[in-house]
Amino acid sequence: MSSGKQTVLVAMSGGVDSSVAAALLVEQGHEVIGVTMKTFCYSENDAPSKTCCGLDGIMDARRVADRLAIPHYVFDVERDFTRDVIDDFVAEYAAGRTPNPCVRCNGNTKFRDLLKRGEMLGCEVIATGHYARMGRAPDGSPTLLRGLDRNKDQAYFLWGLPPAMLPSLRFPLGELTKPEVRARAREMELVTAEKPESQEICFVPDGDYVGFLRGRLGAEHPALSPGALVTTGGETVGEHDGYAGFTVGQRKGLGGGHGRRLYVIGSRPAQREVVIGSADELLRREFEIRELNWLAPPAGKGEQVEVQIRHRAAAVAARVTMAEPGKLGLALDEPLRAVTPGQSCVVFRGDLVLGGGRIAA
Amino acid sequence: MTSIYLDHAATSPLRPAALEAMLPVLGAGYGNPSSAHAWGRRSRAALDEARASLAELLGARESEIVFTRGGTEADNVAVLGRWRAAEPGAVLVCSMVEHSAVARSMAAAADGGATLHHLPVDEQGVVRLEGLDELLAARPALVSVMWVNNETGVIQPIAELAQRCQSAGVVFHTDAVQALGKVNVRVDDVPVDLLSLSAHKIGGPRGTGALFIRKGTELSPLLHGGGQERGFRPGTEDVAGAMSFAAAAQAALAECSAEMNRLRTLRNHLEAGLMTLPGVRINGAGADRSPAISHFSFSDVPGELLIPALDRAGVAASSGSACASGARQPSRVLLAMGVEPPLAMQVARFSYGWSTTPEEVVDAARLISDMIERLRDLAGAGSVPASPALASSGAER
Repeated sequence: MSSGKQTVLVAMSGGVDSSVAAALLVEQGHEVIGVTMKTFCYSENDAPSKTCCGLDGIMDARRVADRLAIPHYVFDVERDFTRDVIDDFVAEYAAGRTPNPCVRCNGNTKFRDLLKRGEMLGCEVIATGHYARMGRAPDGSPTLLRGLDRNKDQAYFLWGLPPAMLPSLRFPLGELTKPEVRARAREMELVTAEKPESQEICFVPDGDYVGFLRGRLGAEHPALSPGALVTTGGETVGEHDGYAGFTVGQRKGLGGGHGRRLYVIGSRPAQREVVIGSADELLRREFEIRELNWLAPPAGKGEQVEVQIRHRAAAVAARVTMAEPGKLGLALDEPLRAVTPGQSCVVFRGDLVLGGGRIAA
Repeated sequence: MTSIYLDHAATSPLRPAALEAMLPVLGAGYGNPSSAHAWGRRSRAALDEARASLAELLGARESEIVFTRGGTEADNVAVLGRWRAAEPGAVLVCSMVEHSAVARSMAAAADGGATLHHLPVDEQGVVRLEGLDELLAARPALVSVMWVNNETGVIQPIAELAQRCQSAGVVFHTDAVQALGKVNVRVDDVPVDLLSLSAHKIGGPRGTGALFIRKGTELSPLLHGGGQERGFRPGTEDVAGAMSFAAAAQAALAECSAEMNRLRTLRNHLEAGLMTLPGVRINGAGADRSPAISHFSFSDVPGELLIPALDRAGVAASSGSACASGARQPSRVLLAMGVEPPLAMQVARFSYGWSTTPEEVVDAARLISDMIERLRDLAGAGSVPASPALASSGAER
């Protein structure tokens, strides 16, 4: 990685991570410009913002930028964000799948937009506060690696980045742990040092994603209308209040009295059915991923890789059973519970992110 | 980084005379102007002096000047004060291109039951008076039209509006925040009833303004308290702000016509320089304009990057239409002039003032031209392609 002084555009959400990322870049002697992306309309969310995407986030980012004596600009990307991220989020739930909006935002909106704007402001590279690292392949080309802090690693959310962008990326927090980041923030007296983690989806700050879907789709939409709870054997055992509220592996909302522990196995949107079954029926060994994106040479048929099927899950060993353009078949060495359609499956070799895709139904 | 300040219409640097006038009051000159002791009397005397000085510059009586905490407050007192003095369902009239302080006060009155009428503008941004007689016949509680537009610098026909309102017996208000020191603002020449001013647009301090209220104009106060400023702005007076405002106004008006000739030369230089680029338009160019403002639309540039990129290039300017959270909206003013939405967002306002030098304008013309060309090159070159798989919206489509 180049160690010379560069002009860096850093995305500042107003959270502690991106604040420290900016501070570290300043400390390293780079010329740093902070930007906050305004992704959705705050006026629709008058409740005090819990996540770092709210207006408070913009103010906190600005205060950190002032403290670091760097310029800070706000960019309104609401239109693109709505089209590329929110519309997809809604469409995926409506189709009975469970999307990762952060993956979509990183791959389609945030980074591309940052790079374009960065260029126009004379920046050579862009940086974020993600816990991930940039590495070098033997041929010298840049690679994406997991962050060193395994509790915080965010490589899972970054598989969708356009590969052409890798040379322009910096992740200043990649070598740090979260406690170290907080300690640095306190040392530097950043106003965001004690800010709580944001776990929710930024455009659903209250966490009620079903309520959000109701607002977008209308309460009458099939995905939000009552339907049958059926067992894998085809027996109707109850009713649910809308399949969009059910994710593979979920137990909540299924009611009791079934005589055994039941889990959501999947849904059949056309019939408005939520399929439930036992823990064993949740296990899956083989599945397919689509909408592939490769950040390293693609894995071929027969190759042994590791895959991660949700944020914070461990990577597990798998073999590539099929490799076609846009499609990859995977067979896990040991079956996993809750392989969830719509979620990202990221393909690793050790710390190296090879690429990923969306789990197909 | 930024070295050339062309944002006087947002805030003009404090004039040395305005700073000097303020410092003694902030230091030893304490005391509440309402107190009946020596300290109070000294403060009262300073406030009276400031008021007398401003009144004289405007051709007003001292009792007609109310100091406020800025132009926005003066506009609110004028618009909502007139509405409260009338019936809740009263008719209010303003132009399509008012500053948000007037536009939103009008909207607040409309929410409370007032009937709102808007005077349209022509493609140069000048208020059209065709329908005025009809509107005046409806006996509006207030007609409000700004003297100089804060985005384009276009000068409105205030003398004619004020005279026609006077003939019809209708109260007329003008937001003269961008007019003071740029055009001849005299209330003994022009029969306005209410007139809003702001100190920091002419080299006075931020947070100070004034409202001229012609004697006999019925107006209800918005704030309630100890009756200061004839009850229209209760609360202990900002004596330092008033003194500083008066000093800035003295300086700005003493040299007004010579200074405007100087700024016109500078403005013309910058405008001529940028007009050599293709796809550049000066908004309101065909109208009578304040020599202190140039407002451009640049085609084929990302509008939201114009001001940050200018900042990076070392030129401080404004767009005039971004909200606090950075939301990008096309300029209301340009939309009212019939400018298409993309061009109504690809805007930059350069504004000049007492500290602007010829060298700065020469440098700025070059920096801005280079920056526009660079942005256009980059915008035309396209950007990083999306991840192939994520380019489409939604799975399996």
